[in-house]
Amino acid sequence: MSTAESAAGSAAEGTALLEIDALSVAYGRRGGRPGQQILEEVSLRARAGEILGVIGETGSGKTTLARAVVGLAPVTGGRITVDGAEITGLRGRALREFRRTGRIQYLFQDPLRSLDPDLTVGALVAEPLAVTGTGSREQRAERAAEALHRVGLDPGLAERLPGQLSGGQRQRVSLARAVVTRPRLLLADEPVSALDASNRNHVLRLFDRLRTELDVAVVVISHDLSSLAGIADRIAVLYRGRLVEQGPTAEVLTHPLHPYTALLTASAPSVRREHRIPPGRLRRQEAAPEWALEGAGGCGFAARCVFADDACRAAPAVEARPGAREVACHHADTWRGRLSSPELAVVAVGR
Amino acid sequence: MPASSLSEPAADTPVLAVEGLHITVNGGRTEAVRDISFTVRAGEAVGLVGESGSGKTLTCRSVLGALPPGVQVSAGTATLADRGGGSTDLTGLDRRGWERLRGVRLGAVFQDPASYLNPSLTVGRQLAEPLMVRQGLSRAAAHRRAVDLFTAVGLHRPAEVYHRYPHELSGGMLQRVLIAVAVSGDPELLVADEATTALDTVVQAEVLDLLGRLRSERGLALLLVSHDLAVVAEVCDRIVVLYAGEVVEEGPTEQVLAAPAHPYTEALLRVASLGDWSRRELAVIPGRPPEAGRAPTGCRFADRCAHARPECRDGVVELRSAGEGRRSRCVRLEALHLSGTVLQEVSA
Amino acid sequence: MRTLRRTWRVPIARLALAVLAAVALLAVFGGQLAPQNPLAQDANHILAGPSGAHLLGTDYLGRDVLSRLLAGTGLSVAGALEATGVALLVGIIPGLASLWLGRVFEWISLRAVDALMTLPFTLFAIAAIGLLGNGIHQAMIALGVLLSPLFFRVTRAAALGLRQSPYVEAAELMGASRRWVLRHHIWSKVLPTVAVTTAQALATSLLTVASLTFLGLGVQPPAPTWGGMLATDLGFLSQQPWAPVLPGLLVMVTAGALHLLADALRDSGAADAVREPHAAATADPAPAAREEKADARIVTV
Repeated sequence: MSTAESAAGSAAEGTALLEIDALSVAYGRRGGRPGQQILEEVSLRARAGEILGVIGETGSGKTTLARAVVGLAPVTGGRITVDGAEITGLRGRALREFRRTGRIQYLFQDPLRSLDPDLTVGALVAEPLAVTGTGSREQRAERAAEALHRVGLDPGLAERLPGQLSGGQRQRVSLARAVVTRPRLLLADEPVSALDASNRNHVLRLFDRLRTELDVAVVVISHDLSSLAGIADRIAVLYRGRLVEQGPTAEVLTHPLHPYTALLTASAPSVRREHRIPPGRLRRQEAAPEWALEGAGGCGFAARCVFADDACRAAPAVEARPGAREVACHHADTWRGRLSSPELAVVAVGR
Repeated sequence: MPASSLSEPAADTPVLAVEGLHITVNGGRTEAVRDISFTVRAGEAVGLVGESGSGKTLTCRSVLGALPPGVQVSAGTATLADRGGGSTDLTGLDRRGWERLRGVRLGAVFQDPASYLNPSLTVGRQLAEPLMVRQGLSRAAAHRRAVDLFTAVGLHRPAEVYHRYPHELSGGMLQRVLIAVAVSGDPELLVADEATTALDTVVQAEVLDLLGRLRSERGLALLLVSHDLAVVAEVCDRIVVLYAGEVVEEGPTEQVLAAPAHPYTEALLRVASLGDWSRRELAVIPGRPPEAGRAPTGCRFADRCAHARPECRDGVVELRSAGEGRRSRCVRLEALHLSGTVLQEVSA
Repeated sequence: MRTLRRTWRVPIARLALAVLAAVALLAVFGGQLAPQNPLAQDANHILAGPSGAHLLGTDYLGRDVLSRLLAGTGLSVAGALEATGVALLVGIIPGLASLWLGRVFEWISLRAVDALMTLPFTLFAIAAIGLLGNGIHQAMIALGVLLSPLFFRVTRAAALGLRQSPYVEAAELMGASRRWVLRHHIWSKVLPTVAVTTAQALATSLLTVASLTFLGLGVQPPAPTWGGMLATDLGFLSQQPWAPVLPGLLVMVTAGALHLLADALRDSGAADAVREPHAAATADPAPAAREEKADARIVTV
C-alpha cells in the first residue's frame, strides 16, 4: 500500500468502484521485443457517483486506458478491478460473459460511426439487451424507451435511423444505449469533442445528472479542459503514458503541482484570463537535453520541461500530497518558486 | 500600426472589406447569409464567431472563392485592397483571377491539416514546389526559403522537418507547415477557418501565439473563424458575432466581452470557456438556431432570448451603432444592461 | 430489399431486369412455348429460310431453329445458375469465415484461393470433364469452384472493412457472439456487393457454358444449347450466313443484361454503403465532423 493510496483512501467516502493499479499497456510485444509502451504503471480510482476526468494530449494514452478497462487493449502489467472483481485476465468466453452483464459501458468518440447506420434507434438502444436475450421484445422496447427518455430524447425517435438525427441527438442515443443495461461504470471517450459549445454543455449536463440518478462511476476522457472543469469531481492528468498529477478538479486546475498541468491550464483559451501564468514561461525553447530525447527512462516530460535538470533522469514516482492529491515530479514543490528567475527566462519561450 | 516591409495601402483602407454580402444555397432558393459587412485592416485580427449554421463558414469560403456548387454570392461585395492602390472584387473573380490571388495575396489554413497535404510527398517539397513555380526560385533557393519559413513558424529542427512526410508529424506541426505554406507568398490577408479546433490544448495555444506573432511581425491582416469565443478572445482585436446568417454584434474584443451589446453575445459568453476552473453550473442556450430560409420575422434570436419582448418580433431589425466602433442588431439595445466579463492581463 | 428498391430507380436496371425476366421465362417454359419439337428432324426442309411453319428457318437436320433456341435457353441458363450457385457457396462462407475463425484458417483459405485464381476457366472445365466424365453438371461444378475466389475476395474485402467499424466493436463490447455480429451488422451490408458480383458471375458462367457447348463438351447432342447451335451454324455459314447471329445474339443480350444489372446495382449506391465504413475505419480518429459538418443544410466544403 503506497502512501498515495492511503492518502487518497482516507479522503474517500465509500469504496472505489473502479480500481486501476499500476496498469501497463504495450503494443507489439512479442518474444524479446519490448514493443511500444503506451501506458506505464498508471493507478487510478473512481467511486460510484463520481466523475473522474482523464485529460491528456494526443499520445498520452488516455484512450488506451479506457479501452484497457473494457478489454480492448493488450495489458502487459498491473490490475483492473471493477466492483471488487478483477477483470484484467479475462479472455474469450469469460470476457464475453462479463461484457454481457453490462456492468461496464464504453461510449465511443464518434457517435456517427459507432451506431450501425442501418438499424433504427430503438433497435440500437435495445441491442445490449437483445444480445443477452433479456426479456421479451416488448420488454426490451420498453426499457429502450425508458433509456431514451432518461437521456432527454423523445422515445418517438425509436423508428428513426441515426443518419436522420443531429450530432447531439446521436450522442444521446449512444448514451441511451450505454445506460440501458444499468451499468455501474461508464467510460466516455471524448463525448463532446465533436459538438459545438452550446451542445457540449447540454450533453455534459446530462452526464452530471445521470451519475447521480444511476449512481454510476463515470470516467470522462478528454483533451479539452473546460469540458472537464464543468463536471469532473476529480481529474487525472496523463502525459506520454504516465500519470503526472491527480486530485480534485478545482485544486488541480487552479494550483497545479506539475509543470505540465500548469502548461495545460495556461494554454487553455479563455475569455477571462485571471491569475494565469503566461504559457510562454512554461514552454521550453532551448533544445532538450540529449538524455531526455532518447527516451531511455527518466521523466517523460523532461524534453519539454523548462525546469528539467539531472534529477529528472530518473522517472519520478507518484507521490501523495495534501488534499487527496498526487503528483509525479521531482520538482513539484519548487518549480513555482523558480518561475521568475532569470536563468529560466533563457530556457523558456517568453511572453 | 505594426511595421511592415511592404508598401501598404493607405492607412485607412482596410485590406479586406466585406459589404452587404448575401449568400444563397440550394441553387439560389434559400438565403443562408444576409447582409454581412465587416472590415479587416492590415495588422488587425478580426474574429468571426458563431455556432453551427451561423454562416461564418460560408462567409469565409466566399472570401476565398471556395463556395461549393449550388452556393453563390447573390449580392454584396468582398474587396481586397491592392498594394498599389485600387482593389479587387473577390466576388466577381473568375478562375484565372483566383489563381493569381490565392497563395500570393490571400492565404488560408483550415481545420484538419493532414487532409490538406499530399501524404506521398515530404512536407518540405510541398512547400518548396509552389515557391519554385510561383516565385521562380531555383530548387536550392526554394529549399532554403522553405527551411526559413519552417523556422519562422516555430518548427523545431526545421531542416529535418523538411524531409519528413505528413504522417510522421503531429497535428500541431502539420498545422504549422500549412501556415508556412499560407504565408510563403507574403499575403496581405490570412484566413484561419477553425484552424485550431482539432488541435490539443497546448498546441492550440502555440499556434494561436504564432498567428498573433505573424500578424505583428508581417503586418498581416488576420481573419479568424471559430465557434469558440475563447479562441477568438485570445487573438483578435475585433469580434464579429454571427447568428442565423446575420451579424448581430461587432466591436473591439475587450469592449464586446466586457459589456456585450446583444443578448446572443451574452449567451455565448456564458457557455464559453471562462478559464475559471471551479465547478459551475454549465450554461446552455435553449433551443436551436432557425434553419436557413426559415428565419422568423423580426429578430432571429428572439425565440431563444432571455430578454425578448413582443416588439422584438415586429419587422426587420437593422444593425445599429452601439458606441464607438461598435454595432448591434438588438431592438432593445438601449434598454438592456448585459453582463459580460473582464479580460484581465496576466500576472505571474 | 432496400438494394432492389434502390436499383429499380435506375432506368437501365429496369430494362435489364425486363430482359432477364424474359430469359428466365424462356428458361422455364421455353420447351412448352416452342411451336415444334426441337428434336424433330425434317429431311425435306434442310437449311430453309424463315417461313410460316418455321419462323426462323431450319438447321442442317431440318430442325426448327426457333424451337431449338427456346428449348436451349433452359439448358444454357441452368448451367450458368448451377455454376454461380456453387461459386456462391464455396466462396462466401469461407470468405466470411476467414475473418472470424482465426489466423490459421485465414492463411490456408487465402492460399487456396490464390491457387484457384491461377487456373483458366475453360481449360479447367475441360480437364474436369475429361476426368469426371462428359456431363454438364461436372463441368458446372468445376466452373463454380473456379469462380468462387471472386466471391471469396469480394465478401472478405467487404466484411474486412466492416469488421473494423466502431459499431462492430460496440457490439463486441456488448458481449455479442460472432454469429450475432455477422447476422445483425455484417451480412446485410455485404449483400449488395455480393449481388453485383453474382450478376457478373452469372454472365461469365453463361459465356463459359456457351463456350463449352460450342466445343461440344458438357451437353450431348442432339440436346439444343446456344453454344452448340452456334457451333453447328458456323459449319454451314455459306448456306445460312445469318444463322449464327441468332444464338450469338441471345448469349450477348443475356450476358449484356446481366452486366447492366450489375452496373445498376453498383451505381444505385447500395454497394457504397459497404465502401463507406472502409474509409471511415481508416480515417484519423481526431475530433472529426462537428455539428456543422453533419448539418445538411449548410453546405460546407
